[in-house]
Amino acid sequence: MASVRDSQAFRLNLVGIVALSLFVALFARLYSLQVLHEEQFQAAAVSNTNRTLSTEAPRGRILDSDGRILVDNKSTLVVFVDNFVLADQLNSRQDREQLALRLATALSDNGVLTKVSSILRELEDAKYGPFDKIPIASGVTEEFKVWLKERDFQFPGVEIETESIRFYPYGAAASHVLGYIGPINQDELELRTTSAKAYQPADEIGKAGVEAAFEEVLRGVPGSQEIIVDAKNRIVGYGDILSPQPGSDIQLTIDIDLQIEVEEELKNQLEARRLERDNNKLTGDNSFFVAPAGAAVVLDPNGSQILAMASYPAYDQREFIGGISAAQFDALTDKDAHAPLNNRVIQGLYAPGSTFKPFTAFAAMNSGLMSDRGELTQYSELFDPGFFTLPGCDGGKCEFQNAQRTEYGLVDLRRALTVSSDVYFYRLAWFFEISPSVRSAALQDGVRAFGFGRRTGVPLAYEVAGLVPDAELKAARHEDIPEVFTEGNWFAGDTLNTAIGQGDMGVTPLQLANAYATLANGGTLYSPNIAKTAIDPATREIEIDYQPRALAEIYLPPEIRDPLIDGLAGVTTQEGGTAVIAFETYPHDLLSVAGKTGTSEKFGKQDFALFAGFGPVENPEYVVVMVLEEAGFGSESAAPGVRNIFQALATDSIPIREPIDLDYLNAPVIVGIDATGNELALNADPTP
Amino acid sequence: MSRTLNGSRDPNAPWYHLDPLVALAAVALAGLGIASIYSATRGTDPLDYNTFYLERQTMFVVIGIGMGTVAALIDYQRLRMLSPFLYALSIVLLIAVLSPLGSEVNGAQAWFNFAGFGIQPSEFAKLAVIVMLANYLSRFDGDLNLRQLAVALAIPAFPMLLILQQPDVGTILVFIAIIMGMLWIGGARLSHISLMTVTGIAMLAAVLKSPLLADYQRDRLTVFYDGDITDAGAGFNQGQAQIAIGNGGFSGKGYGLGDQTRSGLVPEQETDFIFTVIGEELGFIGSMLVLGLFGLLIWRIWRAAQLAKDSFGTLICVGILAMILFQMFESIGMTAGMMPVTGIPLPFISFGGSSSLVSFIAIGLVMNVRMRRWQ
Repeated sequence: MASVRDSQAFRLNLVGIVALSLFVALFARLYSLQVLHEEQFQAAAVSNTNRTLSTEAPRGRILDSDGRILVDNKSTLVVFVDNFVLADQLNSRQDREQLALRLATALSDNGVLTKVSSILRELEDAKYGPFDKIPIASGVTEEFKVWLKERDFQFPGVEIETESIRFYPYGAAASHVLGYIGPINQDELELRTTSAKAYQPADEIGKAGVEAAFEEVLRGVPGSQEIIVDAKNRIVGYGDILSPQPGSDIQLTIDIDLQIEVEEELKNQLEARRLERDNNKLTGDNSFFVAPAGAAVVLDPNGSQILAMASYPAYDQREFIGGISAAQFDALTDKDAHAPLNNRVIQGLYAPGSTFKPFTAFAAMNSGLMSDRGELTQYSELFDPGFFTLPGCDGGKCEFQNAQRTEYGLVDLRRALTVSSDVYFYRLAWFFEISPSVRSAALQDGVRAFGFGRRTGVPLAYEVAGLVPDAELKAARHEDIPEVFTEGNWFAGDTLNTAIGQGDMGVTPLQLANAYATLANGGTLYSPNIAKTAIDPATREIEIDYQPRALAEIYLPPEIRDPLIDGLAGVTTQEGGTAVIAFETYPHDLLSVAGKTGTSEKFGKQDFALFAGFGPVENPEYVVVMVLEEAGFGSESAAPGVRNIFQALATDSIPIREPIDLDYLNAPVIVGIDATGNELALNADPTP
Repeated sequence: MSRTLNGSRDPNAPWYHLDPLVALAAVALAGLGIASIYSATRGTDPLDYNTFYLERQTMFVVIGIGMGTVAALIDYQRLRMLSPFLYALSIVLLIAVLSPLGSEVNGAQAWFNFAGFGIQPSEFAKLAVIVMLANYLSRFDGDLNLRQLAVALAIPAFPMLLILQQPDVGTILVFIAIIMGMLWIGGARLSHISLMTVTGIAMLAAVLKSPLLADYQRDRLTVFYDGDITDAGAGFNQGQAQIAIGNGGFSGKGYGLGDQTRSGLVPEQETDFIFTVIGEELGFIGSMLVLGLFGLLIWRIWRAAQLAKDSFGTLICVGILAMILFQMFESIGMTAGMMPVTGIPLPFISFGGSSSLVSFIAIGLVMNVRMRRWQ
């Protein structure tokens, strides 16, 4: 018996050891989970149950140089469908179709025309999350809200909330400057996954103009509401609320009065030109001018601030509020309708014609081809019989002529600019070709110093770089696409065309204005600015001060600059100057103007008219460039347009513009909506 | 020798050898259980907390303490005589539950619905088998020959086969733990035990491959060694359970404040996964409290087995020890991701009438054996 108890005692001890080891195992495992890896599991638990709902913050406003509001926010009533209710109660296609039909009928009866199919498309769009509210229509009335509330059993999940939308006190003015906003697309979203101002798939983003260029400043910091959900996505609790912070305001260098003046002048010039006939002796066929499009820009040359920027045809940015239809958008980008969405000031590529001549002259002086002590000086007179025959020419185009084949006789540089002698510049070009002392691309290098052939760096999207043709580029293009660019060799004729801003030369109106600004301000090439400051919406403190951005300093001693300025000043004042007629009644004593006309030929089209001018001549404050497509001579159409703008500036007769939208006066001025839906009227007065 | 309980001056009297620690540990665990069940089941509306589970479990615990007291008072020697009847009764109930009289919950035909209560005969069968087996094994002098071993195996085999029909794999595993513990103490030879272990493992492998198990059962058993815990499905439950325990950290989220618990992300949280509530809301400190109380309980049962006056008492205690130890290890181990998922309640803590009653009756029996060591 004792042996039984002994062996049993031994076996029982073993049971104790087994039990103990099991406890040790559990202890070790729990220690690992709860002490060693605590943080890892806590993070997992948070992501498991916590969801963040985002509320978009109000965008910053856009102000003009005087602080007047150009783009504001206003509240509107928006009809939403709650996606959670949709998933919970209307999970069959049939239910959703019925809701869409009822909603479309009700909305259309109340004046907001809405299609059943477009509602259904939104309801089934995968970009909306389970807690998102799907916007259906905006701008419904307070009465409709009440009407809907009384029938909410018929409209499950349908809610009407106050939302902040863009509002334009000056209507369609400055559309190309301001741009527009729209729902963010997939590509834009992917580019901004790490943005501090996080984007949700249904958020709005600047698409063009200042709205796009200053997106980072204008966009507010979205607010968030943490919710805690259970395994079935039901809300079981609320976490931290972070109020949205409104975006900063942007104050532009644009003056809205001048902006509207320039827009109207551009439009008037084009419309007036359509009543006249093209009677150019050489190219005209006496048909009416088409004058379909154009661009105008006003710069302050000291720092290159854009004061006004107009492109025609323009669009109405108000069409984009609450979404734009595909058909509307297609019309705005239609090439046959001259793509109203394009901002020709930065996207239009034009041969500058004679407005380019000062820069050709600069290239000649800069390269040493022309100097005050050499054989060819600024004061050397060359004979202009009205045409120029390429020496040793054996085929192709051998004779080049002035406009209308006018004979100017003996001209020096100043006179050649004043009367716009092409022959003078053909001869310069020929010297570039044959002179052993200058490099082969000296002409191109000289003009590139003024910013031609590359983007100005204005903070606006879609700016094009322009083109300064040279032998290298011509050969490369021929190699790439021989069917289009049939010739790969550089001829003397190419240099001649480049010298007078023809051929493949391509500049944007802004590039041309910026080059004239550089000449006017004594040689500093700036990257143009369109914004002055970014302003905190609550405190009105300046957050960012956009200083002038100098890119390069060009050596312009008096012996180089003076003949150019004198020649350009003569254009508007001297006997024989190409713009003398346009400036006949102009008050030169109030604001003297120097400038250059340009007429560029485009194959298969009527001539393009250009004028680039600056003033006052002694101490320039304004540079104005106008380009009119298919409008004939620059001296006849663009020059009068620029003259009118200068005249308004000189006589201080630009009318002060009032906000045109009367709605604006009645609408509450709000800068946003807080997390609980209350309106924030932080500061109704935008001026500091 | 007086056989009365109040003979306090008699050093051999039962009352003198009452072990308050084992009772204390059991009641403390049951208290923790009630609190955890309430936290897991009260819902999320503070104005309208659900108290159904709280009230039910409190009632079970009170009844359990009463039945445990009865089990402690009746001299366990009487169980020698009673054991065949208890055994037969449990077999009858296990057959009856498979008939239309029983009802199915979570894929197992394991419950009688009686006056709004669910009674699980397999829980009571565990105790009947322990007493029956103790009675049989105590007749031999700590050395079982092959024939005796075969009879000893046949005793639990019948109820196990019936339970496999439900099917309730978890309870089968508890039975295996009980058999192993009791045969070991009952004197099975080392060679036989080794052979049984090897055969058992081979059979388990065969069962896993065979169509005997429902898919969900196979998944739950195999996810443990080949599953991805972040996946939906079988591994998801265990993953959520581990996140809950880990989320508690050292000091816990606080009672009623567990994110996972409130979110209902852990399944069966008031029953098989009850430990996740304690792990998340009371943290490592709470986990250690539970382990400590179970440690105390197991130690006192082990001590009772050691001190028992006869093999019958020792064997009853060892059977109960194996049952509680295994259920605790499996239930906590599965929530912590170190054991496969099976439906086994955590004794004293999980919600459930049958489980609570059986646990308290078991503790009553252990006290019974210890009390009467000198009688």
